[in-house]
Amino acid sequence: MKLLIKGGRIINPAEQMDMTGDIVIEQGKIVAIGQNLTADGGQVIEAAGLVVAPGLIDMHVHLREPGLEAKEDIASGTRAAAAGGFTTVACMPNTKPVVDNSILVSGLIQRGQTEGVVNLKIIGALSKGLEGKELAEIGDMIAAGAVAISDDGGHLDSTRLLKTGLEYTGMFQRPVITHSEDEELAGEGYMHEGAVSAMLGIKGRPAVAEDIAVARDIMLAEYANSPIHIAHVSSKGAVEIIRQAKRRGVKVTAETTPHHLTLTDEELKSFNTAFKVNPPLRSADHREALIAGLKDGTLDAIATDHAPHAFEEKDVEFRYAPSGFAGLETALGVVLTGLYHTKKLTLMEVIDKMSYAPAKILGLESGVLKVGAPADITIIDTEYKWDVNCINFYTRGKHSPFEGRNFKGKALITIVNGSIIMQNGEVLK
Amino acid sequence: MIKSHISLRNKDILGLETMSAAEMNLILDTAKEMKNIIDRDIKKAPTLRGKSIINLFFENSTRTRTSFELAGKYLGADVVNISTSTSSVAKGESLRDTLLTVEAMGVDIIVMRHEAEGSAQFAANIAKPVIINAGDGAHEHPTQGLLDMFTIKQYKGNIAGLKVAIVGDILHSRVARSNIWGLLKMGAEVHVAGPQTLLPRGLEQVGVTVHYRVEDALDQADVVNVLRIQRERQQKGLFPSAREYARIFGVNAKRLALAKQDALLMHPGPMNRGLEIAPDVAYGEQSAIQEQVKNGLAVRMALLFLVLMGGTHIEAAN
Repeated sequence: MKLLIKGGRIINPAEQMDMTGDIVIEQGKIVAIGQNLTADGGQVIEAAGLVVAPGLIDMHVHLREPGLEAKEDIASGTRAAAAGGFTTVACMPNTKPVVDNSILVSGLIQRGQTEGVVNLKIIGALSKGLEGKELAEIGDMIAAGAVAISDDGGHLDSTRLLKTGLEYTGMFQRPVITHSEDEELAGEGYMHEGAVSAMLGIKGRPAVAEDIAVARDIMLAEYANSPIHIAHVSSKGAVEIIRQAKRRGVKVTAETTPHHLTLTDEELKSFNTAFKVNPPLRSADHREALIAGLKDGTLDAIATDHAPHAFEEKDVEFRYAPSGFAGLETALGVVLTGLYHTKKLTLMEVIDKMSYAPAKILGLESGVLKVGAPADITIIDTEYKWDVNCINFYTRGKHSPFEGRNFKGKALITIVNGSIIMQNGEVLK
Repeated sequence: MIKSHISLRNKDILGLETMSAAEMNLILDTAKEMKNIIDRDIKKAPTLRGKSIINLFFENSTRTRTSFELAGKYLGADVVNISTSTSSVAKGESLRDTLLTVEAMGVDIIVMRHEAEGSAQFAANIAKPVIINAGDGAHEHPTQGLLDMFTIKQYKGNIAGLKVAIVGDILHSRVARSNIWGLLKMGAEVHVAGPQTLLPRGLEQVGVTVHYRVEDALDQADVVNVLRIQRERQQKGLFPSAREYARIFGVNAKRLALAKQDALLMHPGPMNRGLEIAPDVAYGEQSAIQEQVKNGLAVRMALLFLVLMGGTHIEAAN
């Protein structure tokens, strides 16, 4: 059956296209983009006044399956993604067991098809068991469909293993995604080291721990001539190191998160564990550097680092709470409210960072609006006002640093492979 | 007799960062009255009769716990002490559950010490009884801050305009943080000194002057507050040796002589004599260390009274 999206503002960063028009979808693909198109008896979505964008892609989520389903699973996590306007998510391998072999990659892809409601992409581990000692079967996992390789969840201490991992993964032209932070330097801290940590008495994770690790990781990628993607960049030093590396032609890409772009360590004065995240929320100068990095292309993508935890795990003293929180259902609202409506990013840039850029980094066909492309589309009302209420989240992670905030901008419809799976906040599958 | 028209704004006493100078003055003025009770032959006042206080200590303490216990008892309250060795925490009970259990027993005040920063705030968010922070990690120790200010006021008359040097392990010290907030709000000039490895980054941003040479901080100081080197937290080698620390950063007679002649010497205790403070200085003429202990009791009596009875009924204490 045909689906016609009529009269929307079509934004397609791949071609820098920003026009009012129609899109026709058939058999899960985009079959026409233009003016005055007809549905021929198919379903019509009236999109006048709304933004029609390539489906949002979150290249960094933790769906916790297998093994940690009390926090999240593919069913709940992909529904959260759909609710947030995402049509594709790529999940990290730090599960129990660790996704470090092709059987698990294949199994998760299959689970994604049966349990998931959005496209699920799998990131395989770089080292066996995330132990940082021995390479995982990277080639096998990529053959099974893994889109990238990462030991995310922690820093890879072994410089030798990272060099080998980059060389090996690079053969397949897939990126290694790094959580770059010198653990020995940052290890005991619970928040950004600075004036706020000084007076809260909380041990700090210094920004230089991230800078050092990013520098090391980029130097290794340059040496190996392999693609590297730096996850959740949070420090101004890291932004500058990545900027210089890009100028030299290193195959480096990078992401930052909605929370690092909009929040600072001042929030931690409340000791609210919802603000505990790693890398930590930093001071305002770092946040400004991240925004500048997004603007000039140093930072390619915005990814949530969606890291849900069971309610009781976060409902403890700050020191003992795990880092991370749910991000899929708030990401677009955060970015539109904090960056688009404040004129720090254009709508074209927002869609680029949240769809086209991650698609390119992961080598996906989606992230574009063109005839023949998968009909993964997000329809956005940039003016929609709503309040964050974690209890209503689809994710099992009911903690968010944005709880109670008022947002302007939301995904109203999520279309995956030509089917409407979310409408007006309700996931239909 | 003091009759105040102000009262404490918040239900709980979590730290001095969130307390106004007026509130602190109310507590200090009340403590002055309370100190008289300590010197009486019969110390029992009926003020808090029928009220119950639990000292919930997740960390070891002698002076603070005893001080709170006596403060409650002198004012006629029923006081129960719980320490981790006898609590259900060892059985894996969460802090939330422990607090709710205590609350269910109808206590009016929970005095809590805990190793995690922000635990007092966490408790205040959960429990209905008044929470008094008796030290949360390296964050705050408000009653120590108040007793230090009380002591300074006792000897110096006022606090505004004084140069106060805080020397030693600022990084691990909740006492330092409560002192910094309290003293700055009362108008003192706060200088901190110690090895850079024991001074957290960013202190200047709250209005503190930072020195790496103890001599610079002590120069013409009115008050010298020496902090304990927390040996139990020194596993990571933040300074090379006790010997070197004593030589370069320890407060001895020679260094103390750089301060004003009538400078007051304080220490929150327990002291490492011969490390951060030389024995002759600790027991010297300028030392107010014993008086601090007594003042601590008075300040805690004042606080217990104020949080339960409010600020407008101070005369009832007598």
